[in-house]
Amino acid sequence: MSTSKDHIIKSYDDELERLTGELVRMGELSVRQLEAAIDVVERRDERAARRVVDNDDAIDQLEQEISHDVVRLLALRAPMAGDLRNVFAALRIAADIERIGDYAANVAKRAIPLSMLAPVAPANGLATLAALAVDEVREVLRAYRNRDAEHARQVWESDARLDEAWTGYFRQLLTYMMEDPRNITPCTHLLFMAKNIERIGDHATNIAENVWFQVTGEQLDKQRNKRDLTSEPQPPIPGKPRT
Amino acid sequence: MNEHAANDAIGMTATAAAPARTKIEVRGLDFFYNGSRALHGVSMGIPEKQVTAIIGPSGCGKSTLLRVFNRIYAIYPKLNATGEVMLDGENILDPAYSMNRLRSKVGMVFQKPVPFPMTIFENVAYGIRHHEKLGKADMEVRVEQALRSAALWDEVKDKLKRDALGLSGGQQQRLCIARGIALRPEVLLLDEPTSALDPIATGRIEQLVEELKHDYTIVIVTHNMQQAARVSDRTAFMYMGELIEFDATEKIFTKPAKKQTEDYITGRFG
Repeated sequence: MSTSKDHIIKSYDDELERLTGELVRMGELSVRQLEAAIDVVERRDERAARRVVDNDDAIDQLEQEISHDVVRLLALRAPMAGDLRNVFAALRIAADIERIGDYAANVAKRAIPLSMLAPVAPANGLATLAALAVDEVREVLRAYRNRDAEHARQVWESDARLDEAWTGYFRQLLTYMMEDPRNITPCTHLLFMAKNIERIGDHATNIAENVWFQVTGEQLDKQRNKRDLTSEPQPPIPGKPRT
Repeated sequence: MNEHAANDAIGMTATAAAPARTKIEVRGLDFFYNGSRALHGVSMGIPEKQVTAIIGPSGCGKSTLLRVFNRIYAIYPKLNATGEVMLDGENILDPAYSMNRLRSKVGMVFQKPVPFPMTIFENVAYGIRHHEKLGKADMEVRVEQALRSAALWDEVKDKLKRDALGLSGGQQQRLCIARGIALRPEVLLLDEPTSALDPIATGRIEQLVEELKHDYTIVIVTHNMQQAARVSDRTAFMYMGELIEFDATEKIFTKPAKKQTEDYITGRFG
């Protein structure tokens, strides 16, 4: 149950608003980091990649501030009901955003060795994947800011698109590696980068679950339609099955 | 992500409590002070051997409701309760229900500890004498049992003949609880039992409530929401003489169904 009235103690409202503000800022930073990471892959810019890696510290710093604020709120305000869910969700969402930041930094990190290798065609596919992840994170943060459970659920459902794109890209990379062993090193980097991006989508769905919980007090626990088929026993590339 | 562990952390995973028998069934209870209505059609079931907390702002009727459970209002003129309060299936509001019988079944402890101006021993023995004829040895056993149950025995066993007014506030309140349970009641009503006590004494009373609920049905009125959350199994929220919401304490403090309840417990009332 959401409630719009202010608290009798005004400073309590200020602290809760500050928490929301910090999370939104942290989320925006993580989205910018992911966009920057993809940009440095495309431009093959080693120095810019290092900057992206370094910038992850700012996200980590914000997470620490949020953890500190949450502990303080729990200790001094003893939040109840909707406020308790709000504070609890904030802590969990901060942890997810922090992981998103880490994955973005990982993508940038691998952009450095990748930029030293000859360009390979499938590198372009990474941007498509990243665009889906950026969209997911942005939308789920909007759902968080607006306390919109239904919007969060839509984002949660939409992760299937990213899973599907990841499965397709995985197959594509394997095909390239089979075609020419010289592709193996760059494609392995791309594979890890793509997996990182796919994981960002999973953290966006975690955030969606927390927004749902925060607003409704219920768990969003029905089975999500996962489309990541890369761990299926079937060979993920077309052709003759292994014997 | 480990949803369940995280949810357990704030008690969101429903724990299957054994279904409790209803000890007191309140049906359509109205209460009037000099003609003005203080309770409006309250209906609720107080579960046996559990702690039920009643919370709500001042004047909401929570103390009035508690006082109906032992008909203490009957000592004042112009106070009147209508409806039914069934204790083990018998309506205690029925004038035919003996006050003596009711008092032996329902004990009450008030906000301010009021020991009688007599010895510690006599404070506990006094009520027993009123209801039963016991020999000296039996009486000593009963007083010791009551003091032990109220977690006070170890502190007073060597000074039973001393004046009860020399005890600290927390000890006095536990003495009042001992006095209440010495009659072996089935229901214990606590009206703000810790509001005059420091946190340590409050902690002792809360621990005591937790132990006593194995033997007694406890109803506690408290202004302290954290206390309601800590000690009770079920919580009732009252506002302006009406029972707004009554549910498992865990539910009331994490996901109340009514907006009024949410506003009150989150400090948005006003």
